[in-house]
Amino acid sequence: MSLTNPPSSATGPGSVSAVRSQALKRSVQAAFEDPADRGIGPMSYQSKVRVTDKYKVIGFISSGTYGRVYKALGRHGQVGEFAIKKFKPDKEGEQVTYTGISQSAVREMALCSELNHANVIRLIEIILEDKCIFMVFEYAEHDLLQIIHHHTQQPRHPIPPTTIKSIMFQLLNGCQYLHTNWVLHRDLKPANIMVTSAGEVKIGDLGLARLSYKPLQSLFSGDKVVVTIWYRAPELLLGSRHYTPAIDMWAVGCIFAELLSLRPIFKGEEAKMDSKKTVPFQRNQMQKIVDIMGLPTKERWPLLTSMHEYSQLGTLQPPMNYGHHQHGHGHGHHYQAQRQSSSSTGGSQLEKWYYTTINQHGTGNSQSPLASLGSEGYKLLAGLLEYDPEKRLTAAAALQHPFFSSGDPVTTNCFEGLKMEYPHRRVSQDDNDIRTGSLPGTKRSGLPDDSLVRPGKRVKEG
Amino acid sequence: MAANYWESTQRRFWQFTKDELAATRQRLEDEDPTLVQMFPLPQLRHLNIYFNQQINRLGKRLGVRQQALATAQVYIKRFYTRVEIRRTNPYLVITTALYLACKMEECPQHIRLVSQEARSLWPSDFHGHDTSRVGECEFSLISEMNSQLIVHQPYRTLLAFQDEFGLTHEETSLAWTVINDHYMTDLPLLHPPHIVALTAILMALVLRPVSNTTGGGPTGSNTSTGAAGAGAGGGGGAGGVALAATALAQAQLQAQARVAAVFAGGGGGGNTPVTPGFTSSQGSQVGSAQGENLGEPKKATDPRLAKVQRFAMWLAESSIDIEAMVDCTQELISFYECHEQYNDKHTREQISRFIKARGLDK
Repeated sequence: MSLTNPPSSATGPGSVSAVRSQALKRSVQAAFEDPADRGIGPMSYQSKVRVTDKYKVIGFISSGTYGRVYKALGRHGQVGEFAIKKFKPDKEGEQVTYTGISQSAVREMALCSELNHANVIRLIEIILEDKCIFMVFEYAEHDLLQIIHHHTQQPRHPIPPTTIKSIMFQLLNGCQYLHTNWVLHRDLKPANIMVTSAGEVKIGDLGLARLSYKPLQSLFSGDKVVVTIWYRAPELLLGSRHYTPAIDMWAVGCIFAELLSLRPIFKGEEAKMDSKKTVPFQRNQMQKIVDIMGLPTKERWPLLTSMHEYSQLGTLQPPMNYGHHQHGHGHGHHYQAQRQSSSSTGGSQLEKWYYTTINQHGTGNSQSPLASLGSEGYKLLAGLLEYDPEKRLTAAAALQHPFFSSGDPVTTNCFEGLKMEYPHRRVSQDDNDIRTGSLPGTKRSGLPDDSLVRPGKRVKEG
Repeated sequence: MAANYWESTQRRFWQFTKDELAATRQRLEDEDPTLVQMFPLPQLRHLNIYFNQQINRLGKRLGVRQQALATAQVYIKRFYTRVEIRRTNPYLVITTALYLACKMEECPQHIRLVSQEARSLWPSDFHGHDTSRVGECEFSLISEMNSQLIVHQPYRTLLAFQDEFGLTHEETSLAWTVINDHYMTDLPLLHPPHIVALTAILMALVLRPVSNTTGGGPTGSNTSTGAAGAGAGGGGGAGGVALAATALAQAQLQAQARVAAVFAGGGGGGNTPVTPGFTSSQGSQVGSAQGENLGEPKKATDPRLAKVQRFAMWLAESSIDIEAMVDCTQELISFYECHEQYNDKHTREQISRFIKARGLDK
């Protein structure tokens, strides 16, 4: 916390008048209400704002374990479009009652109320009504999962390098903001990275995020499992008790790789919790990492041996020769990796993976568009996918990386120069009733919180 | 933001001047003057002492740590700047505030357990309330606080500064207790947490820790008896307060002198055509000379006095709002005095009266 007095700009009359105008608004509002209805006691809780009075819901976007997301427009001339996230109340029998707000909803409400950054999704307001929580966000037309999916459609074509560079810069910028404010996102993945139609990247879904300073309990004891498995950092897979913003940076590295190759780089299978609710060692996921990154060593990661699951490492297979292991991209002959550097990184196949990937769309005599990302792209990727969390690039360091200062300049609009437009977010009309909309959770399958079902086709490809 | 106090919602929406706070409370009372007349209440600080005691009792049963107890008390304060207390069942508000604070401070408690403990703790005033009432009150609390639930506490500043000022374990404990006590005043709504923390450190330095009676400390329980005793009646109380006042006045004078010196140094540059380097060194010379003129105290032989002087020097060098610290000190001293007149039974009865009469327990 800063100990100096605030800069004069922060002490300006703005804050005071904000409080005053709020108070004024409240008192005007109160004038139209029976005072006995306010507060609590024998009277029941009544929201002062009704979500349907203020917003016109125009469609349903997605559902997750938390509830549903709707697209809406303002009824009172509010500018723009909105995404309203509705947290479902718990049901006891058929009766919907107040059962206490989940901790993740409380976190998301509190954190989103404080956060304010161009690369973090902006909260407009929160309405608590009819035992439901409605979080109103600015609307984003796209997300990275959608964008990646679009490029996997035939003919499969890579995301333009300038778009990737801009997305990475903005994503890191948002991460840096979160991390300097001690917020760990803990669930970064393509589905949670929004992109507006103006090409602005917005980190979304802070449902798992939390403050990391001096926690009352170690971060481990709170929620045993964080981060969707494919993006989970090795220290988490190995049962580390203390983790840091570095877990988000690993996820950013995985996202970078996915933007390049259009498929998750470490696509493991999650081992489910057993009946005793102990967290199993995620062998399959760790093996996927080892296949490309090689086995971690205590020389490169000194605290490795103190990891809870250290002994499990011995049971993993060292990476096979990369060429055999790749699922036959057929473009392997394009890679330019130098042998000696690959062996000096302790069995890592990442450099091979990188050059194979960025060159795979080249044809006989034309270069793949991604080739322009060059060796700095590899260095950035390797810095983010560093085993040792202490050596892994921080968001601030990654922003200073030569990757962004060399080659094509970073654009503030990630779509700048593109001749095509990405398909808009699918908004279904099946469920337009935000108030009574059927509650999700019963017919869902697959990954929780993924707003798009990953097409099965992608699994077969490659 | 979450870790930046200056951009936090706490600073932007929940920090008031005394006048603003008084006006807000007046407005609430004016909404229904008959209600206020019908059910007189003890002064706010006495109500806060009562709430503090009740929340500590509930917290003890649940094994809740001090940080969550502190956050809960801030929630209660914020809530009652928006809702007239006589329209609420304070026991329900206390219970819900603690339940919510525990989630926010990452030490969650089950809602069923919290309401069960509350029922057994306040059988006559809470009997009609089950988990769904706590859940409903939670909506009310969050809504009135505009979902602004992250609270910056002075404890972190205290821990960050214990080495800087060479605080002994007893001094840190005493400062911790003073911070615990400040939740019974309006200070959390009036001053930034670092001002409170520094004031608590100063008070711990000037009020000799009474080794037997100090309650609290980073891990211990939290009673106000230690600091209250030291502040009001305890050994060296009056002398300590005087010492604190002197230290603050001295720091303020030195800070002013420093500002004046910088000003003189910068202004002088216009008349004297010299290199910037010379100007600045001249400025600092003037500063130190004036500091001595303004009565730099004689070498302190008492180690405690030396610590206070070091603290005052540090303050003078910093850009801390010393005026705010003076106000904070006065507020705390006056709280310890008013603590003496606190009557537990009377307070409880007055609260029960409006709960029963208005059926708020059902």
